[in-house]
Amino acid sequence: MAIQINLHKTHRQYTGGKESVEVEGKTIGECLKNLIRKYPPLGKEVFGKNGKLSGIVEVYLNGATAYPDELAKPVKDGDTIQLVYFLAGG
Amino acid sequence: MLTADEGQRYDRQILIKEIGEEGQEKLKRAKVLVAGAGGLGSPISLYLAAAGVGTIRLVDGDTVDLSNLNRQILHGDRDIGRVKVHSAKDKLALLNAAVKIEALQVTINEDNINRLVEGCDLIVDAMDNLPTRYILNKAAIEKGIPFFHGAVRGLEGRAMTIIPGKTPCLRCMYHGDVPKEKFPVIGVTPAVIGSIQATEVIKYLVGMGDLLTGRLLIYDGMSMEFREFKVSKNPQCEHCGEKSKRN
Repeated sequence: MAIQINLHKTHRQYTGGKESVEVEGKTIGECLKNLIRKYPPLGKEVFGKNGKLSGIVEVYLNGATAYPDELAKPVKDGDTIQLVYFLAGG
Repeated sequence: MLTADEGQRYDRQILIKEIGEEGQEKLKRAKVLVAGAGGLGSPISLYLAAAGVGTIRLVDGDTVDLSNLNRQILHGDRDIGRVKVHSAKDKLALLNAAVKIEALQVTINEDNINRLVEGCDLIVDAMDNLPTRYILNKAAIEKGIPFFHGAVRGLEGRAMTIIPGKTPCLRCMYHGDVPKEKFPVIGVTPAVIGSIQATEVIKYLVGMGDLLTGRLLIYDGMSMEFREFKVSKNPQCEHCGEKSKRN
């Protein structure tokens, strides 16, 4: 199953500037883990120390919020996951 | 009732049929809390004052620094070292002397938020950090008044409108805090996002249009794109979900 992950610009430094990456997986969590297998330094940005999704990253599936339990959310061929980094400035 | 001067001053926006004289009177009667007199707070309060919002309570604990001036357009060279809300009040009075500006030099926290919000119809987020935004969001939910979120970094920004009891809130989406940093930003970014927030406030007060509720609008000035994400209520939300009711 090919799932497209669109990366936030703060994360593209770890993918050689790639804005999106295709991965395999049956859930959002599997897809993100496969993304990090390709680009290991991205791991610390996406996951916290406890292995849960980082508290400052939002995940959208096909343009909509994926909570609660984002990582367990099933995905299917052709789905798009969007990683977004929190903004806090004003 | 609008005065003759007010009728003339707001003539062009009264021509917008959804506003009209009735909408203008609603703006005149409104009292809004703008939390922050910096990058976002500048365009928000300038456009709300220009539109004739009756009372703006502007809250910020800081003083003006030279490094603020690339984006915080309420302040200028002569204001360096001044209390931001005093500098802001002067500029807003020059723009529209009929608008009442309540300038409060206060750093918002959990202990003073209820007093600061008292009597306001809504809260506008013009903060520069997430923890204070959570305080504002929670107060808005508890008071049942709308909260107009905005945030920026670099050439990117976001906005969303929250109507307590009806729409998802900020805490539904946000859980953590970003690492402390001197965040990059150029003035045009808060200008875009602050103008969107002010638009939402005016629409809400007048009762027109479709609000940015359940939708997170993300602006990317670098690629000049707006994207929209559908936001749902989070049943586990600490502020508006089942978890909050248990607490």
